[in-house]
Amino acid sequence: MATLRRLREVPRHLLVCEKSNFGHDKSRHRHLVETHYHNYRVSFLIPECGILSKELKNLVMETGPYYFVKNLPLHELITHEFINTFVKKGSCYALTYHTNIDEDNTVALLPNVVSIDLMDLSLNLDSKKYERVSWSFKEKKPLKFDFLLAWHHTGAEESRMMSYFSSYGIQERQPRVALSTASELQCPVLRSGELGGAPGAACSAPELLDWLGAVFSNAQLNNEPNNFVSTYCCPQPSTVVAKAYLCTITGFIVPEKIRLLLEQLCRYFDEPKLAPWVTLSVQGFADSPVSWRENEHGFRKGGEHLYNFVIFNNQDYWLQMAVGANDDCPP
Amino acid sequence: TSRFRRAKQEPNVNIPGVSRAQGVASAGELRALAESCKERDSGRRQVDAALPLDILTYEEKTLSAILRICSSGLVKLWSSLTLLGSYKGKKCAFRVIQVSPFLLALSGNSRELVLD
Repeated sequence: MATLRRLREVPRHLLVCEKSNFGHDKSRHRHLVETHYHNYRVSFLIPECGILSKELKNLVMETGPYYFVKNLPLHELITHEFINTFVKKGSCYALTYHTNIDEDNTVALLPNVVSIDLMDLSLNLDSKKYERVSWSFKEKKPLKFDFLLAWHHTGAEESRMMSYFSSYGIQERQPRVALSTASELQCPVLRSGELGGAPGAACSAPELLDWLGAVFSNAQLNNEPNNFVSTYCCPQPSTVVAKAYLCTITGFIVPEKIRLLLEQLCRYFDEPKLAPWVTLSVQGFADSPVSWRENEHGFRKGGEHLYNFVIFNNQDYWLQMAVGANDDCPP
Repeated sequence: TSRFRRAKQEPNVNIPGVSRAQGVASAGELRALAESCKERDSGRRQVDAALPLDILTYEEKTLSAILRICSSGLVKLWSSLTLLGSYKGKKCAFRVIQVSPFLLALSGNSRELVLD
Protein backbone atom coordinates (compact mmCIF):
# COMPACT_ATOMS: atom_id res chain seq x y z
CA MET A 1 0.00 0.00 0.00
CA ALA A 2 2.88 2.34 0.85
CA THR A 3 4.42 1.66 -2.57
CA LEU A 4 1.14 2.42 -4.31
CA ARG A 5 0.83 5.62 -2.33
CA ARG A 6 4.35 6.67 -3.26
CA LEU A 7 3.65 5.95 -6.93
CA ARG A 8 0.74 8.36 -6.83
CA GLU A 9 2.69 11.20 -5.23
CA VAL A 10 3.94 14.14 -7.23
CA PRO A 11 6.39 16.77 -6.03
CA ARG A 12 4.73 19.90 -4.77
CA HIS A 13 4.46 22.99 -6.90
CA LEU A 14 2.99 26.39 -6.18
CA LEU A 15 0.92 28.88 -8.06
CA VAL A 16 0.51 32.24 -6.35
CA CYS A 17 -2.13 34.57 -7.81
CA GLU A 18 -2.56 38.15 -6.71
CA LYS A 19 -4.37 41.21 -7.96
CA SER A 20 -3.63 44.88 -7.70
CA ASN A 21 -3.61 48.07 -9.75
CA PHE A 22 -0.68 49.70 -11.54
CA GLY A 23 -1.59 53.02 -9.97
CA HIS A 24 -1.29 51.78 -6.38
CA ASP A 25 1.73 53.07 -4.49
CA LYS A 26 2.42 49.68 -3.02
CA SER A 27 2.07 47.75 -6.25
CA ARG A 28 4.86 45.20 -6.47
CA HIS A 29 4.87 44.74 -10.22
CA ARG A 30 8.04 46.63 -10.93
CA HIS A 31 9.98 44.98 -8.11
CA LEU A 32 8.91 41.48 -9.13
CA VAL A 33 9.85 42.02 -12.77
CA GLU A 34 13.23 43.54 -11.90
CA THR A 35 14.25 40.81 -9.48
CA HIS A 36 13.56 37.90 -11.83
CA TYR A 37 16.98 37.87 -13.43
CA HIS A 38 17.38 35.05 -15.92
CA ASN A 39 14.56 35.11 -18.42
CA TYR A 40 14.38 32.69 -21.34
CA ARG A 41 11.01 33.32 -22.91
CA VAL A 42 8.75 36.36 -22.94
CA SER A 43 5.40 36.26 -24.69
CA PHE A 44 2.36 38.47 -24.87
CA LEU A 45 -1.14 38.03 -26.25
CA ILE A 46 -3.43 40.87 -27.31
CA PRO A 47 -7.03 39.95 -28.14
CA GLU A 48 -8.83 41.93 -30.85
CA CYS A 49 -5.55 43.00 -32.40
CA GLY A 50 -4.27 42.29 -35.89
CA ILE A 51 -1.32 44.67 -36.16
CA LEU A 52 1.27 45.59 -33.59
CA SER A 53 1.83 49.29 -32.81
CA LYS A 54 5.14 50.84 -33.87
CA GLU A 55 6.16 51.39 -30.23
CA LEU A 56 5.53 47.77 -29.26
CA LYS A 57 7.21 46.47 -32.40
CA ASN A 58 10.33 48.55 -31.68
CA LEU A 59 10.50 47.31 -28.11
CA VAL A 60 10.12 43.71 -29.25
CA MET A 61 12.94 44.08 -31.76
CA GLU A 62 15.21 45.74 -29.19
CA THR A 63 15.12 43.18 -26.38
CA GLY A 64 18.71 42.17 -27.18
CA PRO A 65 21.54 41.80 -27.63
CA TYR A 66 22.91 39.14 -25.37
CA TYR A 67 26.30 37.43 -25.60
CA PHE A 68 27.64 33.92 -25.75
CA VAL A 69 31.20 33.09 -24.77
CA LYS A 70 32.76 29.64 -24.54
CA ASN A 71 35.37 28.42 -22.07
CA LEU A 72 35.44 31.63 -20.07
CA PRO A 73 37.50 31.22 -16.90
CA LEU A 74 35.39 32.00 -13.88
CA HIS A 75 38.00 34.29 -12.32
CA GLU A 76 37.45 36.73 -15.20
CA LEU A 77 34.13 37.67 -13.64
CA ILE A 78 35.72 38.85 -10.39
CA THR A 79 38.57 40.91 -11.73
CA HIS A 80 38.87 44.56 -10.76
CA GLU A 81 38.55 45.57 -14.41
CA PHE A 82 35.39 43.55 -15.02
CA ILE A 83 33.71 44.91 -11.90
CA ASN A 84 34.57 48.51 -12.76
CA THR A 85 33.67 48.20 -16.42
CA PHE A 86 30.38 46.34 -16.14
CA VAL A 87 29.16 45.57 -12.63
CA LYS A 88 29.45 49.13 -11.34
CA LYS A 89 28.21 50.81 -14.52
CA GLY A 90 24.98 48.97 -15.12
CA SER A 91 23.26 45.67 -14.45
CA CYS A 92 25.30 42.65 -15.47
CA TYR A 93 23.77 39.20 -15.78
CA ALA A 94 25.43 35.87 -16.54
CA LEU A 95 24.38 32.23 -16.52
CA THR A 96 26.30 29.13 -17.51
CA TYR A 97 25.08 27.66 -20.76
CA HIS A 98 23.96 24.02 -21.00
CA THR A 99 24.69 23.21 -17.41
CA ASN A 100 21.83 21.25 -15.88
CA ILE A 101 21.34 22.48 -12.35
CA ASP A 102 20.40 19.01 -11.12
CA GLU A 103 23.58 17.44 -12.58
CA ASP A 104 26.34 19.99 -13.20
CA ASN A 105 28.09 22.91 -11.59
CA THR A 106 26.24 26.07 -12.44
CA VAL A 107 27.29 29.67 -12.12
CA ALA A 108 25.08 32.73 -12.21
CA LEU A 109 25.86 36.41 -11.88
CA LEU A 110 23.19 38.56 -10.31
CA PRO A 111 23.17 42.31 -10.78
CA ASN A 112 23.28 43.24 -7.11
CA VAL A 113 24.54 41.44 -4.06
CA VAL A 114 25.85 37.95 -4.69
CA SER A 115 27.19 35.34 -2.28
CA ILE A 116 30.61 36.57 -3.24
CA ASP A 117 29.81 40.24 -3.08
CA LEU A 118 31.68 41.73 -6.00
CA MET A 119 31.02 45.30 -4.90
CA ASP A 120 32.43 44.55 -1.48
CA LEU A 121 35.45 42.74 -2.92
CA SER A 122 36.29 45.55 -5.29
CA LEU A 123 36.74 47.96 -2.38
CA ASN A 124 39.82 46.14 -1.24
CA LEU A 125 41.58 44.11 -3.88
CA ASP A 126 44.51 43.41 -1.65
CA SER A 127 42.33 41.83 1.00
CA LYS A 128 42.82 38.24 2.05
CA LYS A 129 39.22 37.57 1.07
CA TYR A 130 39.80 38.62 -2.53
CA GLU A 131 43.02 36.65 -2.74
CA ARG A 132 41.34 33.55 -1.40
CA VAL A 133 38.42 33.80 -3.84
CA SER A 134 40.71 34.49 -6.75
CA TRP A 135 43.00 31.61 -5.81
CA SER A 136 40.12 29.15 -5.56
CA PHE A 137 38.98 30.01 -9.08
CA LYS A 138 42.45 29.82 -10.61
CA GLU A 139 44.29 27.19 -8.60
CA LYS A 140 45.41 24.03 -10.43
CA LYS A 141 42.63 23.67 -13.00
CA PRO A 142 40.85 26.99 -13.48
CA LEU A 143 37.10 26.61 -13.58
CA LYS A 144 35.83 27.42 -17.05
CA PHE A 145 32.29 27.52 -18.35
CA ASP A 146 30.32 28.52 -21.42
CA PHE A 147 28.40 31.62 -20.45
CA LEU A 148 25.37 33.59 -21.51
CA LEU A 149 25.96 37.26 -20.67
CA ALA A 150 23.90 40.40 -20.79
CA TRP A 151 24.60 43.95 -19.69
CA HIS A 152 22.02 46.67 -19.25
CA HIS A 153 23.38 50.21 -19.03
CA THR A 154 22.32 53.73 -19.85
CA GLY A 155 25.48 54.76 -21.66
CA ALA A 156 26.22 54.67 -25.35
CA GLU A 157 28.98 52.07 -25.22
CA GLU A 158 27.25 49.39 -27.24
CA SER A 159 29.99 46.93 -27.98
CA ARG A 160 32.01 47.16 -24.77
CA MET A 161 31.22 43.54 -23.89
CA MET A 162 32.39 42.38 -27.33
CA SER A 163 35.74 44.15 -27.12
CA TYR A 164 36.33 43.17 -23.49
CA PHE A 165 36.01 39.43 -24.12
CA SER A 166 37.24 39.44 -27.72
CA SER A 167 40.15 37.12 -26.85
CA TYR A 168 37.61 34.47 -25.82
CA GLY A 169 35.72 34.59 -29.09
CA ILE A 170 32.59 36.20 -27.64
CA GLN A 171 29.56 36.22 -29.95
CA GLU A 172 26.72 38.69 -29.98
CA ARG A 173 23.24 37.20 -30.38
CA GLN A 174 19.78 38.64 -30.87
CA PRO A 175 16.74 37.06 -29.22
CA ARG A 176 14.50 35.10 -31.57
CA VAL A 177 11.14 36.75 -32.21
CA ALA A 178 8.03 34.90 -33.40
CA LEU A 179 4.97 36.94 -34.34
CA SER A 180 1.61 35.53 -35.36
CA THR A 181 -2.09 36.19 -35.32
CA ALA A 182 -4.81 33.75 -34.31
CA SER A 183 -8.25 33.90 -35.91
CA GLU A 184 -11.55 33.15 -34.23
CA LEU A 185 -9.87 32.57 -30.89
CA GLN A 186 -11.96 31.50 -27.89
CA CYS A 187 -10.95 33.66 -24.94
CA PRO A 188 -12.07 33.31 -21.32
CA VAL A 189 -14.26 36.05 -19.87
CA LEU A 190 -12.53 37.63 -16.88
CA ARG A 191 -13.46 40.13 -14.21
CA SER A 192 -10.51 41.99 -12.72
CA GLY A 193 -12.03 41.93 -9.23
CA GLU A 194 -12.72 38.18 -9.30
CA LEU A 195 -9.38 36.38 -9.06
CA GLY A 196 -11.12 33.15 -8.23
CA GLY A 197 -13.69 33.54 -10.97
CA ALA A 198 -17.46 33.74 -10.57
CA PRO A 199 -19.62 30.75 -11.56
CA GLY A 200 -21.27 31.43 -14.89
CA ALA A 201 -19.85 34.96 -15.07
CA ALA A 202 -16.06 34.88 -15.14
CA CYS A 203 -13.13 32.46 -15.24
CA SER A 204 -10.52 32.09 -12.52
CA ALA A 205 -6.84 33.01 -12.67
CA PRO A 206 -5.62 29.37 -12.78
CA GLU A 207 -8.04 28.64 -15.62
CA LEU A 208 -6.68 31.62 -17.51
CA LEU A 209 -3.11 30.39 -17.02
CA ASP A 210 -4.02 26.93 -18.35
CA TRP A 211 -5.77 28.48 -21.33
CA LEU A 212 -2.75 30.67 -22.10
CA GLY A 213 -0.56 27.57 -22.07
CA ALA A 214 -2.96 25.85 -24.46
CA VAL A 215 -2.92 28.80 -26.86
CA PHE A 216 0.88 29.08 -26.94
CA SER A 217 1.19 25.31 -27.34
CA ASN A 218 -1.30 25.34 -30.24
CA ALA A 219 -3.70 23.01 -28.48
CA GLN A 220 -7.30 22.62 -29.61
CA LEU A 221 -9.60 24.71 -27.45
CA ASN A 222 -13.03 23.36 -28.32
CA ASN A 223 -13.03 19.60 -27.80
CA GLU A 224 -16.25 17.83 -26.89
CA PRO A 225 -16.35 16.13 -23.46
CA ASN A 226 -16.56 12.73 -25.14
CA ASN A 227 -13.70 13.34 -27.59
CA PHE A 228 -11.39 10.33 -27.65
CA VAL A 229 -8.16 12.30 -28.18
CA SER A 230 -8.58 15.28 -25.86
CA THR A 231 -11.28 16.71 -23.67
CA TYR A 232 -9.59 20.06 -23.06
CA CYS A 233 -11.63 23.10 -23.92
CA CYS A 234 -11.53 26.83 -23.25
CA PRO A 235 -12.81 27.62 -19.74
CA GLN A 236 -16.33 29.00 -19.62
CA PRO A 237 -17.71 31.57 -19.95
CA SER A 238 -15.80 32.55 -23.07
CA THR A 239 -16.11 34.79 -26.10
CA VAL A 240 -14.72 34.41 -29.58
CA VAL A 241 -12.44 37.20 -30.82
CA ALA A 242 -11.96 37.70 -34.53
CA LYS A 243 -8.19 38.13 -34.22
CA ALA A 244 -5.53 37.98 -31.53
CA TYR A 245 -1.87 38.96 -31.74
CA LEU A 246 0.72 36.59 -30.30
CA CYS A 247 4.38 37.40 -29.82
CA THR A 248 7.13 35.21 -28.37
CA ILE A 249 10.72 36.31 -27.72
CA THR A 250 13.34 33.75 -26.69
CA GLY A 251 16.94 34.28 -25.64
CA PHE A 252 18.68 35.68 -22.57
CA ILE A 253 16.43 38.63 -21.81
CA VAL A 254 17.15 41.20 -19.12
CA PRO A 255 14.45 42.32 -16.66
CA GLU A 256 14.84 45.97 -17.67
CA LYS A 257 13.61 45.21 -21.18
CA ILE A 258 10.68 43.21 -19.80
CA ARG A 259 9.73 46.14 -17.61
CA LEU A 260 9.63 48.38 -20.69
CA LEU A 261 7.37 45.87 -22.44
CA LEU A 262 5.08 45.73 -19.43
CA GLU A 263 4.83 49.52 -19.30
CA GLN A 264 4.08 49.72 -23.01
CA LEU A 265 1.36 47.07 -22.69
CA CYS A 266 -0.18 49.12 -19.85
CA ARG A 267 -0.24 52.10 -22.22
CA TYR A 268 -2.12 49.94 -24.75
CA PHE A 269 -5.32 51.01 -23.03
CA ASP A 270 -4.55 54.75 -23.13
CA GLU A 271 -6.82 54.77 -26.16
CA PRO A 272 -10.11 52.87 -26.18
CA LYS A 273 -9.65 49.29 -27.33
CA LEU A 274 -11.97 46.36 -27.93
CA ALA A 275 -9.73 44.08 -25.89
CA PRO A 276 -10.74 43.84 -22.21
CA TRP A 277 -7.25 42.63 -21.18
CA VAL A 278 -3.83 41.62 -22.50
CA THR A 279 -1.32 39.15 -21.06
CA LEU A 280 2.45 39.17 -20.61
CA SER A 281 4.15 35.89 -19.63
CA VAL A 282 7.78 35.35 -18.68
CA GLN A 283 9.57 32.04 -18.22
CA GLY A 284 12.86 31.75 -16.42
CA PHE A 285 15.75 29.53 -17.38
CA ALA A 286 15.14 26.04 -16.03
CA ASP A 287 18.78 25.86 -14.90
CA SER A 288 19.07 29.20 -13.13
CA PRO A 289 20.04 28.69 -9.47
CA VAL A 290 17.66 31.47 -8.41
CA SER A 291 14.09 32.41 -9.19
CA TRP A 292 13.41 35.85 -7.66
CA ARG A 293 16.33 37.71 -6.06
CA GLU A 294 18.30 35.02 -4.22
CA ASN A 295 15.40 32.61 -3.73
CA GLU A 296 16.69 29.17 -4.54
CA HIS A 297 15.47 27.52 -7.72
CA GLY A 298 15.94 23.84 -8.47
CA PHE A 299 15.03 21.17 -10.98
CA ARG A 300 13.10 18.14 -9.77
CA LYS A 301 10.93 16.73 -12.53
CA GLY A 302 10.75 20.18 -14.11
CA GLY A 303 12.58 23.50 -13.81
CA GLU A 304 9.70 25.89 -14.17
CA HIS A 305 9.66 29.33 -12.64
CA LEU A 306 7.42 31.67 -14.51
CA TYR A 307 5.13 34.62 -14.03
CA ASN A 308 2.20 36.01 -15.94
CA PHE A 309 0.52 39.42 -15.92
CA VAL A 310 -3.08 39.94 -17.00
CA ILE A 311 -3.39 43.67 -17.67
CA PHE A 312 -6.95 44.95 -17.63
CA ASN A 313 -8.23 48.03 -19.42
CA ASN A 314 -8.86 49.79 -16.09
CA GLN A 315 -5.20 49.39 -15.03
CA ASP A 316 -6.05 46.55 -12.65
CA TYR A 317 -3.78 43.58 -13.05
CA TRP A 318 -3.46 39.96 -12.03
CA LEU A 319 -0.02 38.54 -11.34
CA GLN A 320 0.53 34.81 -11.24
CA MET A 321 3.85 33.31 -10.14
CA ALA A 322 4.51 29.61 -10.54
CA VAL A 323 7.40 27.52 -9.22
CA GLY A 324 8.23 23.83 -8.94
CA ALA A 325 9.21 21.44 -6.19
CA ASN A 326 12.78 22.45 -5.44
CA ASP A 327 11.99 26.16 -5.24
CA ASP A 328 11.52 28.64 -2.47
CA CYS A 329 8.06 30.13 -2.37
CA PRO A 330 7.60 33.08 -4.76
CA PRO A 331 7.99 36.46 -3.04
CA THR B 1 -4.28 43.32 -3.25
CA SER B 2 -5.37 39.82 -2.61
CA ARG B 3 -3.63 36.55 -3.20
CA PHE B 4 -4.33 32.90 -3.05
CA ARG B 5 -2.21 29.86 -3.57
CA ARG B 6 -3.10 26.67 -5.25
CA ALA B 7 -1.13 23.50 -5.59
CA LYS B 8 -1.88 22.36 -9.10
CA GLN B 9 -3.16 18.88 -9.59
CA GLU B 10 -2.68 18.07 -13.23
CA PRO B 11 0.83 17.62 -14.53
CA ASN B 12 1.37 17.84 -18.25
CA VAL B 13 3.94 15.80 -20.03
CA ASN B 14 5.75 16.78 -23.20
CA ILE B 15 6.77 13.64 -24.99
CA PRO B 16 8.44 13.20 -28.35
CA GLY B 17 7.95 9.73 -29.74
CA VAL B 18 10.77 8.32 -31.77
CA SER B 19 9.17 5.81 -34.05
CA ARG B 20 11.48 4.44 -36.62
CA ALA B 21 8.80 2.51 -38.44
CA GLN B 22 6.22 5.29 -38.63
CA GLY B 23 4.21 3.49 -35.99
CA VAL B 24 2.27 6.37 -34.60
CA ALA B 25 0.71 8.42 -37.36
CA SER B 26 -2.00 10.38 -35.62
CA ALA B 27 -3.09 11.76 -32.28
CA GLY B 28 -5.79 9.08 -32.16
CA GLU B 29 -3.25 6.30 -32.53
CA LEU B 30 -1.06 7.88 -29.86
CA ARG B 31 -4.00 8.01 -27.51
CA ALA B 32 -4.84 4.36 -28.15
CA LEU B 33 -1.22 3.43 -27.65
CA ALA B 34 -0.99 5.28 -24.34
CA GLU B 35 -4.15 3.58 -23.13
CA SER B 36 -2.83 0.16 -24.08
CA CYS B 37 0.42 0.91 -22.22
CA LYS B 38 -1.42 1.70 -19.05
CA GLU B 39 -3.63 -1.34 -19.43
CA ARG B 40 -0.69 -3.63 -19.99
CA ASP B 41 1.36 -2.26 -17.11
CA SER B 42 -1.47 -2.34 -14.64
CA GLY B 43 -1.79 -6.09 -15.16
CA ARG B 44 -4.71 -5.72 -17.50
CA ARG B 45 -7.04 -4.41 -14.87
CA GLN B 46 -9.49 -2.21 -16.71
CA VAL B 47 -10.24 -0.15 -13.63
CA ASP B 48 -6.63 0.87 -13.12
CA ALA B 49 -6.20 1.66 -16.79
CA ALA B 50 -9.10 4.09 -16.78
CA LEU B 51 -7.16 7.26 -15.98
CA PRO B 52 -8.36 10.28 -17.94
CA LEU B 53 -5.69 11.16 -20.46
CA ASP B 54 -5.70 13.97 -23.04
CA ILE B 55 -3.44 14.35 -26.05
CA LEU B 56 -3.41 18.14 -26.07
CA THR B 57 -1.15 18.47 -29.09
CA TYR B 58 0.44 16.12 -31.57
CA GLU B 59 2.93 17.19 -34.19
CA GLU B 60 3.57 14.62 -36.90
CA LYS B 61 6.62 16.44 -38.25
CA THR B 62 8.57 16.19 -35.00
CA LEU B 63 6.66 13.17 -33.67
CA SER B 64 6.13 15.02 -30.43
CA ALA B 65 3.07 15.45 -28.27
CA ILE B 66 1.83 17.10 -25.12
CA LEU B 67 -0.11 14.75 -22.86
CA ARG B 68 -2.19 15.75 -19.89
CA ILE B 69 -2.95 13.44 -16.98
CA CYS B 70 -3.99 13.87 -13.38
CA SER B 71 -1.11 13.98 -10.91
CA SER B 72 -1.86 10.58 -9.39
CA GLY B 73 -1.47 9.00 -12.83
CA LEU B 74 1.81 10.67 -13.77
CA VAL B 75 4.17 7.94 -12.57
CA LYS B 76 2.11 5.20 -14.18
CA LEU B 77 1.91 6.97 -17.53
CA TRP B 78 5.58 7.99 -17.53
CA SER B 79 6.83 4.52 -16.65
CA SER B 80 4.47 2.84 -19.12
CA LEU B 81 5.63 4.96 -22.02
CA THR B 82 9.28 4.63 -21.02
CA LEU B 83 9.04 0.86 -20.95
CA LEU B 84 7.30 0.65 -24.31
CA GLY B 85 9.67 -0.96 -26.79
CA SER B 86 7.52 -1.72 -29.79
CA TYR B 87 4.28 -0.75 -31.43
CA LYS B 88 2.43 -2.86 -33.97
CA GLY B 89 5.41 -5.17 -34.13
CA LYS B 90 7.93 -2.40 -34.86
CA LYS B 91 10.56 -1.02 -32.50
CA CYS B 92 9.99 2.39 -31.02
CA ALA B 93 11.04 4.53 -28.07
CA PHE B 94 9.46 7.38 -26.14
CA ARG B 95 11.47 10.08 -24.47
CA VAL B 96 9.93 12.43 -21.94
CA ILE B 97 11.28 15.93 -22.56
CA GLN B 98 9.46 18.06 -20.04
CA VAL B 99 7.04 17.54 -17.21
CA SER B 100 5.18 20.37 -15.56
CA PRO B 101 1.90 21.11 -13.83
CA PHE B 102 1.80 24.37 -15.81
CA LEU B 103 0.94 24.05 -19.46
CA LEU B 104 2.51 27.43 -20.15
CA ALA B 105 5.86 26.04 -19.04
CA LEU B 106 5.68 23.45 -21.82
CA SER B 107 5.48 26.07 -24.56
CA GLY B 108 9.19 26.78 -24.11
CA ASN B 109 12.19 24.75 -22.92
CA SER B 110 15.38 26.62 -22.08
CA ARG B 111 17.31 23.36 -22.27
CA GLU B 112 16.63 23.40 -26.00
CA LEU B 113 18.38 26.75 -26.55
CA VAL B 114 21.09 25.96 -29.11
CA LEU B 115 23.85 28.47 -29.70
CA ASP B 116 26.72 26.35 -30.98
